[in-house]
Amino acid sequence: MPFKSYEHCCSSCIALANLGKIEGVIPILHGPQACTFGNQIGSMFCRPSRLLTIGTTLKKSEVIFGGEGKLKEQIITVYNQYKPKIVVIINTCVPQLIGEDLKGVIMEVKQEIPELKVTFCETGFNQPKSTPLGNDVSWRALVDVLEPQDLSTGSVGIVCRAGQDADSMGCLTSLLREAGITTYAFPAGHIDEMAKIVKAEFLCPVHLVPYLTCKRLNERFGSKTHYFELPVGVEGTSQFLRSVAALTGCQKLREIVEREEKRAKPRLQKIQEQFRKNPLRVLLVSGPANETSIGKILAEFGAQVIIVPSMRNQFARKEQNILKQRYGSQVIFHEEDFDTVLQLVDRYRPDVVFGDFQARVEVIRMLIPCHINENYLNEYGYDYALDFGEHFFESLKMQVFNEWKDIMQYYA
Amino acid sequence: MADTRDFKARQIKIKEIHKPSSFEGALWAVQGITDARVIYHAPPGCYLMQHMNALCNEWHPEIYSTLVSYAEVMQGTGEKLDAMVKQVVAEKPKAIIVITSPVIEITGDDVQGAVAASGYENLIVIRPPLGGTLAEGKEGAFLGLMDLMKPACQQVPRTVNLIGPTYNTFNWRADVFELTRMLSAIGVNVNAVIAADCTVAQIERAPQAALNVCVYPYDCGIVFAQRMEQQYGTPFKAAHVPIGFRESAAWLSDIAAFFSIEAQPYIAREVTRGRDFITTLLVTNTFFEAQAALSTDNCDTYSVGISSFLNRELGMKICMAAVSTEAAAAAISHICPNVLVNPSIDEKKNLLLELSPTIILGNYYDLKIAADLGFKNFLFADIPLIGYIFSETTPFMGFMGAQHLVQAIGNEIYTKIFIETKGELEGAISAGEIPWELDAERALGRIAELLPHFIRSIALKKIHQVADETAQQRNSPVTLEILQDVALKYTPTRFKAKYATIFNNTREAAADSEHSAQPVFTMSWEQAAREMLAMVPAEFRAVAAQETENYAREHQYHRITAAVVEEYRKKLGF
Repeated sequence: MPFKSYEHCCSSCIALANLGKIEGVIPILHGPQACTFGNQIGSMFCRPSRLLTIGTTLKKSEVIFGGEGKLKEQIITVYNQYKPKIVVIINTCVPQLIGEDLKGVIMEVKQEIPELKVTFCETGFNQPKSTPLGNDVSWRALVDVLEPQDLSTGSVGIVCRAGQDADSMGCLTSLLREAGITTYAFPAGHIDEMAKIVKAEFLCPVHLVPYLTCKRLNERFGSKTHYFELPVGVEGTSQFLRSVAALTGCQKLREIVEREEKRAKPRLQKIQEQFRKNPLRVLLVSGPANETSIGKILAEFGAQVIIVPSMRNQFARKEQNILKQRYGSQVIFHEEDFDTVLQLVDRYRPDVVFGDFQARVEVIRMLIPCHINENYLNEYGYDYALDFGEHFFESLKMQVFNEWKDIMQYYA
Repeated sequence: MADTRDFKARQIKIKEIHKPSSFEGALWAVQGITDARVIYHAPPGCYLMQHMNALCNEWHPEIYSTLVSYAEVMQGTGEKLDAMVKQVVAEKPKAIIVITSPVIEITGDDVQGAVAASGYENLIVIRPPLGGTLAEGKEGAFLGLMDLMKPACQQVPRTVNLIGPTYNTFNWRADVFELTRMLSAIGVNVNAVIAADCTVAQIERAPQAALNVCVYPYDCGIVFAQRMEQQYGTPFKAAHVPIGFRESAAWLSDIAAFFSIEAQPYIAREVTRGRDFITTLLVTNTFFEAQAALSTDNCDTYSVGISSFLNRELGMKICMAAVSTEAAAAAISHICPNVLVNPSIDEKKNLLLELSPTIILGNYYDLKIAADLGFKNFLFADIPLIGYIFSETTPFMGFMGAQHLVQAIGNEIYTKIFIETKGELEGAISAGEIPWELDAERALGRIAELLPHFIRSIALKKIHQVADETAQQRNSPVTLEILQDVALKYTPTRFKAKYATIFNNTREAAADSEHSAQPVFTMSWEQAAREMLAMVPAEFRAVAAQETENYAREHQYHRITAAVVEEYRKKLGF
């Protein structure tokens, strides 16, 4: 078991960050002061607006006697001030432990404010895969209260990972729309737009994370989930789009893929040439599930890739199989236990490490380039990968690490 | 009667007056001698401006002046100066230093003769050359101070003079504090600082120091150091600019080697600390994807030192540097593609707009340019200033200086970039369901590629949000034009040129695509059928035409009529 968690943040924080990016939704952190403070600061980084966090800041007496009353009061206050369409209670470790009656609170609020939907997600004690699970449960909580709408035949729902993806899926949706396929992206910046996911006939997850979300959509609305593969890199994006084309019978989409490949492949070849000249071994350690997607892009470029996967759901397993088939021994999945990332560095001797913050502090002092997984988001489509590849060696800043190795050797 | 003459303006280049002259150099060089009296032989206006400037930037600068009148200038200022000197002598200063002003240089008064009568031993006259540079003024003043020096009976071991710091040199106080600390850590003492916050006694015994160290080798002090070497045999060092961890270590190592001091343990501790510091998360995150513009052309030493440090040890691109000499330009040109020598304000402005640096380091004028152009991140690193509180705590030189530079630059960029990406504290997140045209959606993706990774996804949210709001106000979908307006408004300067490329390319691609997406008719179409096709959205029209013709062929229709189109539409479920 690792000595620490190599993750971006706790489930409550990522749930807050997710839900805090959707207009019409207000998250309430149900937990003690420490949770509210820590998660507010943590989510400030990525929330675009409405940066203040609402929480119940449970005191000791409320922990002992129950905080349901305070929670109900907070929900009503929030509604009076902001008139949200949905309030999501983020149920943190402490109230989960004491077994708060959230369903009871929700029923009581419904009686007083029938037009307000209230739901909850349980984010306590999610470890490992704290961050990605926080994404998934927060979306599932929203799906729990969406209203049915008429199914749109032949339409596709793109199901993404996190709030960062809201309104940022143009790299895929623009191609689908161009092909004439009715497309719904989940999440979206506004709850009304996001709610349209229930109209999608087919759900095509574009990340490993939203397994529970897709399952819930299927249970409640009958949408059929088709996990193809991560639409990252040139081949990954093409295969994903071709699969959607086959699913929807859309010839135009196939033509678009051919056109995009004609545009992308020359650039990809140049990138692959760079990687051939500079062979690299890259270690990617359990990010917010994008360790697999970035690893996939790097494998396509020609790097040797070692991935410590964060997810182990059906989507993740399928993706791993695809990568193994496509890249063989070029991609290694490290599933064994380890104490520290430094141990993995000692074992695999990577040239570059992609990890989360906790890994960095171990690795960087050895003057090995260490990128933060959390910086590499919205990694879908052709252009992200091409831009990433074309600037990759420059972004490593090897000359700086070499300079410092020289300084240390000479003076220290 | 109206003047109807047609005047043609001469082609005059405006020379901006933002560079100090040799008169400033000389005054600043001697003001720092705390127990000397400086007499600025000048009209009241000159004296007032010089003293006010010094008071706004230094701790306790004192200047006396003859405050010569027009009549005195016409008739000769000797008497006034003589009287002034006699008054000052009564205060028993350790030295009197007379600096002549431009007016006196023009009249060519015999200043030396005028003060000779006082018989005061430690009296120096310094006559800065008209049209001379700041560096020339300082160098001339240093050379003048040699008249105060006394030959050394005995050299004091492990002592140095720091040559070059003067009042009104940007940040000299903190730099000298740090360099003195570093020297002290290896057992070397500072005999004198020539000539900021020093005393006459220290100047007198300057020849006792074992070594002279030129702190600003690209600006001033080397000629003076050479003269001291000739006259007193004092060697000097000027090879390293102690800015950044590497060069600070090299500077100190060089001095330690001169004195045969084992400084390696101390230096090792400092560089190890430096490595621990620069490998922290926020440092590399911020510096690796940022670029700096240096407008420090009143201190070439800073230009050379800071650019090298930021580039080599922090991975920061130096997109522009302004210097005042070709020597400095040559020292920087291998790491900076755009080096300007004595640029005008317009030249700086145009290049800043083109290059869009993440941060600008410069003086007050540069701050004003930056603010006018919409650049948000700025750090003071040069004179002139309209006033500044200098302390000993914020060096740019030395090991602490390296940390401070990183802290100041990094925090300036990091925090402000995040603030730029945020909406209001309790503001709306989204304007609602606003449709985006395909071109605009694609252009947004291109914009993403311009943004540093660590803020990319959140910065895009801000653009998306503002674009939605704008479209809502105009009651339209988000178009390429709206996105372009928003992108320019959001960061009016930083990516202006690059954004323009994105939008031009997107429009060209759209034009090509529209051209190639024109329907191709391989069968005969009646007018009514064409009119029905025209109602299909442009991006689908070519496909619709092709599919309709395929349908017609399959069903043995030889011509596309309105009825055929209608039949096909029904089959598709429309």
